[in-house]
Formats: sequence, structure tokens, C-alpha cells
Amino acid sequence: MCNTEQQWIAAAKTGDKDAFAKLVETYQKPVYSVCYRMLGTPTAAEDAAQEAFIRAYQALDRYDISRSFATWVLSIASNYSIDQLRKKKVTILSMDNEKHAWLAPPDPGPSPEKAALEKEKLGQIQSLLTDLNELDRAAVILQYWHDYSYEEIADTLDLSSSAVKSRLFRARRLMSEKWQEMQLPSAPPVNSTAKRIAHETSTI
Amino acid sequence: MKHQQYETWILLGTELDLEQHRELQIHLKQCSQCQSLYQATHQIAHLFKNGPVLEPSPGFSTRWMTRIEKVENRKNRLILGITLSAISIATLLLLSSVGLQIRAGAAYLPQLMLEMITLVAKWIIFLNQLRDIVSPLLRVSMKLISPIWLYTLGFSLSGITGAWMISLFKSRTIQRELHS
Repeated sequence: MCNTEQQWIAAAKTGDKDAFAKLVETYQKPVYSVCYRMLGTPTAAEDAAQEAFIRAYQALDRYDISRSFATWVLSIASNYSIDQLRKKKVTILSMDNEKHAWLAPPDPGPSPEKAALEKEKLGQIQSLLTDLNELDRAAVILQYWHDYSYEEIADTLDLSSSAVKSRLFRARRLMSEKWQEMQLPSAPPVNSTAKRIAHETSTI
Repeated sequence: MKHQQYETWILLGTELDLEQHRELQIHLKQCSQCQSLYQATHQIAHLFKNGPVLEPSPGFSTRWMTRIEKVENRKNRLILGITLSAISIATLLLLSSVGLQIRAGAAYLPQLMLEMITLVAKWIIFLNQLRDIVSPLLRVSMKLISPIWLYTLGFSLSGITGAWMISLFKSRTIQRELHS
């Protein structure tokens, strides 16, 4: 952790909201990303990310300075998203579904082709995550997008390492089955990207 | 080795040594099920790593500032509300208890007042007599004793008197209760 960040944390602990806003600015992307992957919609992700930062600000006195701030705030965001899923049973919406086209992420660039591709990929990712339960989904997100180890995931989600291993095992199996289904000719919306990725990874 | 073991290697993403890797590759050539699984896990990992970068719409931290202000204002209003409610309840309880005591002791109130006045008058007479006796002594002792000791003595006497008055009041209350 850099000195500036420590200064922001120290200032925020004394009630300086502007200092904490700088931390929000720094970590908004990973926190929002976790919430989006968990909840599946930009609106829910924005709300959860905001709430996660509010909870972090209110719990700052309990923050252990020896721990990474990013890990701490991500664990708050993950657990808050899990709670939201359990409470409201938020359904991850497929981005391929035309009636939810307004839920597209921020414009990825000037090229419409690239935008369409990104949208398709996002739809596939959310499709794969949909079938996982809250804890399995959180474990997958933390491992694939944030490179967490089994121990770090266990610490974040308050599970044992062996439980994390078995959850990831089960999640990978479910996602693989779904992916194989998506590649079948009867699944045209995702087929083209699936084939392209299959081609891209054939050399791995 | 059994098919299950290869599946476990693939799904756990276990780090394999050279020999295990070679063994897995041989198995994948023979088993279409494991090959599909292997390809699927790699394709998913590739999709996840190369998926779109997600970020909130601009002004996220500004929106956070607005939200935290609202949350804190709500919290402050709640604390103020609880405090005012507690004070109101306490005041109400106090007034009710005073009212009940006055109502209960109304019959004895004139007698109690008279006794208090008599007591104060007796004290005044006693203190006047005491002054006449003690004042010459005090004048001398003031020069000999430190004022701090005199203040201490004064406070102690007041305390004892107060305690005595309270005990007197209580004993009379008990007597009345016994009579009634």
C-alpha cells in the first residue's frame, strides 16, 4: 500500500470524506466490476458498489491497516452482493436479450463492431455466471478477475479453503456444461463468439 | 489411472508436473469427454480474461459523496430523534412521579410545611446563640487556623445537617404510613 493511500485512510478515519472519496475514485472499477458480475445489471451494480463504499467508510475504524485496502473493500462488496442476491433473488439478465438492451455497459469505443462483440462477450459471461449460486459465483469472480488464491477467497467469503476448492470445482463443471450447451448449433446468439473463442484457444 | 482423476485435474486447475501433463495429454487424445471438458474450461478462462472491462458511469465518487451526506444526515436525525424522545419520556416519568407523590401526600402537606418552618426557625435561633458564643472564639481561631480547614468543617456540618433532615423526614413518613 502506498503512502498516499495510507494518508487518505488516516484522514478518512478522522472523518474526512474528501480523503475517502479519493479511495473511492481509486477502487471504483474493481468494486463496481465485482458487483456487476454478481448482480448482472448496471443499476444494481452501481447501487451495491456505492453501498459497499459507504459500509467501508462507516467501518473504517475496524479496518486493519496491515491488510490490503483493495482486498478489504472487495470483500465488503462481495458479501454485500451475496446478501442482495439472497434477499432479493436478483436475476442475472442476459445481455443478449433484446428487451434488456438498455442495460448495456458503458460505450466501449467508437467501433460498433467492437461494441457488439463486447456486448456479446458480456452476455456470455453473465450467462455462465447465472446458474451458479451466490457463493460459487463470488468465488469464481474473485479467482478469475481478481486472481485471488484459495486462501484469500476463503478469507473473503468466510469459508474454509477446502470448501472454496470444492465450490470452484463444482462451478467449473457447471460452467463447462453450460458452455458446451452454448456451443451447440441450437444456440445461435452465442454460437459465433463461442466458435471464435474456441478457435482462439485452440492454440493454447 | 481412472477417468475421474483426469477430470479432477482439469476442473481443479491443478498445477501438473511434466509427467502428469504428458499423461493428461495422452488421456485427452483417447477420451472425447475429457477433451471437451478441457477445451471448455480453457475457453471459459479465455473469455473471462478477455471480457469487457466494466466501469461505473462518470461521477461515481461525486455520487458517493452525495449519498454519504444523505446517510449521515439521516443518521444524525435518527440520533436527535432518539435523544429527544428519551428526554421527553424521562421528563414525563419525572413529572408523573412528582404528581403522584404530591397527590398521595396532599393530606400531610400543611403539617409537613409547618414542621419544616419550625425546624428552620429553631436552627436560626440556635445559630444566633451559637454566633454569640462562637464569634469571639472564631475571631481568635481565624488567625490561628487555615481558612481551608474552616471551609471543610463548614461543609461537613452542612452535610451532617442535610443527612439529619432527610432521616427526620423519612422517619416521619414511615410513622405516618404505620399510623395509616
